[in-house]
Amino acid sequence: MERVLFLSGNEAIAHGALRAGVRFVCGYPGTPSTEIVETAATLEGLHAEWCVNEKVAMETAVGASLAGVRSLVTMKHVGLNVAADPFMTLSLTGVNAGLVVVTADDPGMHSSQNEQDNRTYAKFAKVPLLEPSDGQEAYDFVAEAFALSEEFDTPVLLRTTTRLSHGRGRVVPRVPVEVEPRDYERDMTKYVMVPQHARIRNRVVLERLQALRARAEVTPLNVLEAGTVDFGIIASGVAHAYAREAFPKAWFLKLGLSHPLPYDKVARLYQSVSRVAVVEELDPFLEEQVRALGLPVVGKEAIPADGELDQELVFTALEPYLSRRPPRRRRPVVPPAPRLSTPPAPAPGLPVRPPVLCPGCTHRSVYAVLRRRRLAALGDIGCYTLGALPPLLALDSCLCMGASIGMMAGFNAALGRKAAAAVIGDSTFFHSGVTPLIDAHYNESQGLVLVLDNRTTAMTGHQGHPGTGRRADGSEGPAVDIGALCEGVGVRCTTVDATDYDALDSAIADEAERPGLGVVVARAPCILMTRRTPGTVVVDPERCNLCGLCLDLGCPALVPGDRAMTVTDQCTGCGLCIEVCRRGALSYHEPEAGP
Amino acid sequence: MNGTTTVSIVGVGGQGILLAAAVLAEAAMAEGLDVKSSEVKGMAQRGGSVLSTVRFGKRVWSPVARHAEVVIATERLEGQRALGLLAPRGALVCATTRIEPGSVLRREEVYPDDLEAQAAARGLRLVLVDADSLAREAGTVRAANVVLLGAASSVLPFAPESWALGLAAAVPAKILEVNERAFALGREAAPAQEV
Repeated sequence: MERVLFLSGNEAIAHGALRAGVRFVCGYPGTPSTEIVETAATLEGLHAEWCVNEKVAMETAVGASLAGVRSLVTMKHVGLNVAADPFMTLSLTGVNAGLVVVTADDPGMHSSQNEQDNRTYAKFAKVPLLEPSDGQEAYDFVAEAFALSEEFDTPVLLRTTTRLSHGRGRVVPRVPVEVEPRDYERDMTKYVMVPQHARIRNRVVLERLQALRARAEVTPLNVLEAGTVDFGIIASGVAHAYAREAFPKAWFLKLGLSHPLPYDKVARLYQSVSRVAVVEELDPFLEEQVRALGLPVVGKEAIPADGELDQELVFTALEPYLSRRPPRRRRPVVPPAPRLSTPPAPAPGLPVRPPVLCPGCTHRSVYAVLRRRRLAALGDIGCYTLGALPPLLALDSCLCMGASIGMMAGFNAALGRKAAAAVIGDSTFFHSGVTPLIDAHYNESQGLVLVLDNRTTAMTGHQGHPGTGRRADGSEGPAVDIGALCEGVGVRCTTVDATDYDALDSAIADEAERPGLGVVVARAPCILMTRRTPGTVVVDPERCNLCGLCLDLGCPALVPGDRAMTVTDQCTGCGLCIEVCRRGALSYHEPEAGP
Repeated sequence: MNGTTTVSIVGVGGQGILLAAAVLAEAAMAEGLDVKSSEVKGMAQRGGSVLSTVRFGKRVWSPVARHAEVVIATERLEGQRALGLLAPRGALVCATTRIEPGSVLRREEVYPDDLEAQAAARGLRLVLVDADSLAREAGTVRAANVVLLGAASSVLPFAPESWALGLAAAVPAKILEVNERAFALGREAAPAQEV
């Protein structure tokens, strides 16, 4: 057995991560969270890195979790605002290997611009919340958090506060947890959050929350500690330590897994004592839930709703209530499990009609090339997300705007090779793809970033963006060149004409083989803006054997006839089907010169 | 519900569903009625199923409804899909247009051919209109949506002047004339087609 350590809460979390089998730690510095990554970077057996911001850190950790290694991401409370986009939808996708998000809150604002109580994020995202109250728990709860994350297929929010993160205490090391990396299995209904998949996952989340509440009732993380006076306190985190010192004889419901709230354990406390208080820093997070059970409680009328607490403050705040006549005891009214909506059932027996990539859309060419490369394709949000649907089935993930590049960096870092590519549109690249590219370069990540540059924000109806310079009022502003931007960052970048299939194929093939990080910009204006028909495609019925290779492109202009393919008048003459045909059955029919 | 009439317009993204809904809403306003409409248009140009709902009456509260008195379908399969939307004794004004979705093209699913039987079994009124041919006759196949509005005008309680005002308000001036022709052809065609 190792000797007893004297660690800060943040150091304890880093050591606890190593003990929990975590292989990937990342974050963005922010007081009071910073020392977790700093300490992790000194430990052998795990990889730790600073990311460019909290959103990219979250997405990088998601990529590493997806690739199969336990991952921990850290930030201060306001950092989770930056990372809220991936965090909220990560609740829907769940994880592969466990993923724990550490939020370090700062009651009293020792070094912060606000005092937000991030426990609300656990409720908002419907994920479990762990709140250690001392260094030993900070160490121990990391392994507990990862076990919950994998068992319930959810990210777990681990919340510390300044006094825990920067306080020091004795930590007894425990036997390391043995975990093997998990295999990555492609599962588009779980990881590609297009509406039809997300609606299913949303129900999974609501049911998961009920299962987690049942767990909160029985887990040893939530302890009902008997006292010797007729007074009980509900508390979590460092507030428990203050209350325990102030009222050593009181009963305690100490919540380590503080969201979702265990209603029955609360009721048991009310069966044991006639007066109950909730001691918590900042928001009445627990108090409101207890009041919603119809139970009388002393809370924010006594305990300040801002700033830090301490044991004297807690004692003087609650002491007057102990001499008052106790409220009439009541039984809790536990809210029933919420009803789920009945989604409109699809008309039975009728073919579905999902949206598809338009005829002539050059995104289709990129997917046709990419699927020959055996790279996981981590996607993003835009028209090209439609490539995830049949028959292309070309994407492995879609989490939130700009997530693809950070996820790719984490995925490849976890596996130590170029196993994934990022697929991102031009407008999404400007939205939030530049920072993760900088991050990937800084951390020497491997990867292939495909920017599908169709010169517009197509999906929402062709709005302008900085790459086009076109502004909301139609006026022209300066345009940012993606290639020059990448080179300015220091990342090699090849721009190809997306309508030139061979050039696209060789650019992607070259970059897939090269070590390190590279960008390929596949550039061609959205077909809906040009609608050019240089010619149409004609079928040679003698050569076509209906093999289906062209049909797999999912182009609405290609229709199988009885003996050969036919081409409808939706054809824009893009010629992609000609490229994939192995029998030379398709060719251009140039329009005759007009009079 | 509560004296409010609901009309749902369904079809395939790119068929002009939203324009048809706008004309209908303007026509209802020309009648001096309260109108609310709603649509889901993120995928409107990407070939997926599209549904737009227009509700009118003396006072309309909700912008959506589970059931419609009239459904206008710019495509047969989408018309059939919408049968479940129709209230008892409702009317389906449906184009004969057939656009096969990818799964049918790839022969994974079968395009249904029993719309008439299904509508009859549910006791619904079915008005089938060769909207594409009539639209071409009017001047452009793209006006098929307005041909169907013309056909639907036979089952909706608006005066001809209100429809004219609705068209003028919602259709761009450049293509107003061809759409007025399309509307008239649809209106003529409907009663003759009635079962």
